[in-house]
Amino acid sequence: MKRKTDTMPGEPAKRPKREAARKAQGDDEAALPKKRFYRQRAHANPFSDHSLTYPKSPADMDWASLYPAYSLKKSEEVVNDAGGMEVCGSHDETPSDKIRKSTRATTKNVEIADIGCGFGGLLFALAPQFPDTLILGMEIRMSVTEYVHDKIRALRVQNAASDTGTYQNIAVLRANTMKFLPNFFTKHQLHSIFLCFPDPHFKQRKHKARIVSYTLNSEYAYVLRPGGIVYTITDVKDLHEWMVGHFEKHPSFERVGEEEYDGEGDGEIRQRVRIMRTETEEGKKVERNNGDKFVALFRRTEDPPWPTEG
Amino acid sequence: MNQEQRNSAAQLRMAFPYKCLAACTRLAADGEDWALFGASGSTLVVQSSRGTQSTWSTEQNVENKPDHGDESVEGPSGKRIKLSHPTHQKNNFSSIKISNDGKYLIAITAEDKSIRVFQLSSDWQLRQLSERCMTRRPCSITLSDDNSTIFCADKFGDVYALPLLPSPEDERNANPHPEDGPKKYAPSASLSTVHSGRNRKVLEEQLKQAAKGRPQPKDAPTFKHDLLLGHVSMLTDVVTATVGSRSYLITADRDEHIRVSRSVPQAHIIEGFCHGHEEFVHRLCMSNSNRLISGGGDTHLYVWDWLSHTLLEKIPLQSAVLNLYRNQSGLNSLVPEREEDFRIAVSGIWNVPSRTDETDEILVACEGVPALFKIKPETPSEEAQTLVLNGNALDVTFVTVAGANTAIVSIDHVHEPGHTTKTRENQEPSRLQLFTTAQNGEWFEDDRLKSTLEWFSQDTVGGQDTGESARVAFGKEVQGVIYGVENLRKRAEIDAAVSV
Ligand SMILES: C[S@@+](CC[C@H](N)C(=O)[O-])C[C@H]1O[C@@H](n2cnc3c(N)ncnc32)[C@H](O)[C@@H]1O
Repeated sequence: MKRKTDTMPGEPAKRPKREAARKAQGDDEAALPKKRFYRQRAHANPFSDHSLTYPKSPADMDWASLYPAYSLKKSEEVVNDAGGMEVCGSHDETPSDKIRKSTRATTKNVEIADIGCGFGGLLFALAPQFPDTLILGMEIRMSVTEYVHDKIRALRVQNAASDTGTYQNIAVLRANTMKFLPNFFTKHQLHSIFLCFPDPHFKQRKHKARIVSYTLNSEYAYVLRPGGIVYTITDVKDLHEWMVGHFEKHPSFERVGEEEYDGEGDGEIRQRVRIMRTETEEGKKVERNNGDKFVALFRRTEDPPWPTEG
Repeated sequence: MNQEQRNSAAQLRMAFPYKCLAACTRLAADGEDWALFGASGSTLVVQSSRGTQSTWSTEQNVENKPDHGDESVEGPSGKRIKLSHPTHQKNNFSSIKISNDGKYLIAITAEDKSIRVFQLSSDWQLRQLSERCMTRRPCSITLSDDNSTIFCADKFGDVYALPLLPSPEDERNANPHPEDGPKKYAPSASLSTVHSGRNRKVLEEQLKQAAKGRPQPKDAPTFKHDLLLGHVSMLTDVVTATVGSRSYLITADRDEHIRVSRSVPQAHIIEGFCHGHEEFVHRLCMSNSNRLISGGGDTHLYVWDWLSHTLLEKIPLQSAVLNLYRNQSGLNSLVPEREEDFRIAVSGIWNVPSRTDETDEILVACEGVPALFKIKPETPSEEAQTLVLNGNALDVTFVTVAGANTAIVSIDHVHEPGHTTKTRENQEPSRLQLFTTAQNGEWFEDDRLKSTLEWFSQDTVGGQDTGESARVAFGKEVQGVIYGVENLRKRAEIDAAVSV
């Protein structure tokens, strides 16, 4: 079988220049990264093994290095680094494991996940609006993840003394969420999941690669608490209908009525939908091309009693 | 294979080892009656305690297949033995299960992705009732407690429920495409969508298609099969479990996951994950006391309180295999030079049935290892007993004879013990070994059933002198059918290195 790599053919040739440019930029922590140094081919195969790092379980996750300002115990070991790529602890369990785990814990848990966050537009817009909520961007493409990581670092440095938002509540990590979502989050941990402009995978043969499916929705339901919401937006009508079809068919979700999220009124749901419509990179592209945007929200319902106990 | 090799393979008349075994006991008016079933390549072999001997082959039962008449030869006991043929695909059995009521046998064949259901007659003959061809290769099947439903886990990560015996109504209401969204076909791309040139091409094609109606995938099954749950990974095993009135489905995958879901009709609800494996999971086994034992590419076997998703114990297995190789003369050469590179892959975990139900005893096999390891969870101090075998362990099933458990073990009689590629010079004549527990709980080799099972266990013309090339070719073919667990291990990919 031919193995697909993450990179475009011909990309390695550009690499040295790119790396040098990024290095120069990296020396200045406060400098915003430039996208052109982080471009990557549009699709990564969600079925391949890649060389991903992921924690064995949510308990093994090093959240403190992603959100150092929220670190439970500020220890020497915890490097003051934004959204570090080294996400999981060592695989061998040692007696000092407990101590290490506590240095990896944060005072709060992540409650909002932006799945397939791309260049992170949504994260940067949500951060100051929900300053008390930990928000995580998850992205499978390495370079794109690095861009978001570098941008968070720069924004944290720039806004260290800001009172409108210090960007300490957002982080990014590289993950294939289609395989490993339950390795990061415990049951019912999240209250919101964003699926913004997912890759449409037009061909029928590729539908299995779509980030929404009846079977994957069970995993979203697992990490979402009852009452929590999945926010979806796309410019592709067929994908919109696909997502609606697959969520409506899933007994753990019910569609949220437009009256709850549309318009200029108050409320966190409306606020989040407004940000989702305008702030993601894809959303902006669609805007420029006068494309349609299809929005659909789904609420996670309570699990029913067991069949024999109802 | 060239003509000459084929001829010598024909002379060879060798039988495949039993990749899987199953046994069933019925209480007849005049005492116990049990039968043993084995899958030997593309053939199912049946032997009962009262003398039934029969076979069923996927090749003999293929209709409209020209040129298969000379494909099998008659063995001494009237058994038909399939020969390898390079030009058409053989359908080899990869798993067999018997329904809890002893009335049906369910078998999966890998190459044609089929689930076959057989009725077992009063004298244990197999009569095929159905053959259902799935879209993806089934990896593991199990049955609901009431025997009404087959749960089939496949290579693409999905679990489907199929009625064991489809009713005419099921057939009419068959849902050919549960995984698809909107039924009306419309092109998924539109001119306003912002996408690449490649996508524009797809759109053009789709617009052309739209005129013709929705493109139907060629092999969409037309029988009832309901999608229950799915992992984005290759599924390796599925088991059911019951606590009080609650039933569960537990699934394992190549990405280290063990998932606990509710069973039908709520199989969309995930109750939790048993996190902890660091390599692929290959086998799940429920113990007598309702613990879950899991194993795969890790050095240890894991014991779980699966209801609370907590790991109770890790039982060292790699070291047990190494100890065996070190201490057993004849196996010394298998001790690796660098022990840290030594890998094991659990190929089977079997719960030893018990009357008292509360004591757990487990037998474990690793791929290409000529032994079974007896494990008693919760008694770590006890030295694990190793049952050394004459060939690599393949499958185990149990029958109760005169109140004692007998373990029937199938072994690889084609390859050298400890090897999955090297064929033997002199074939081991028997494809089975039999063990019984003694008073002290130790297993010992017990040949009381040997004569009853002789026809079943012997390789038809084992030992006949044949050419080296035929032997090697046959060994390769067998290897492809009975081995492959180690291939589930992830290889370090280089994409990280290139894409940073
Ligand atoms: C079209 S982009 C949209 C990006 C962003 N949400 C926006 O609206 O601008 C879809 C993103 O999902 C990412 N993605 C696809 N499959 C993924 C997976 N299995 N896990 C994580 N990210 C994935 C892709 O790499 C890509 O960056």
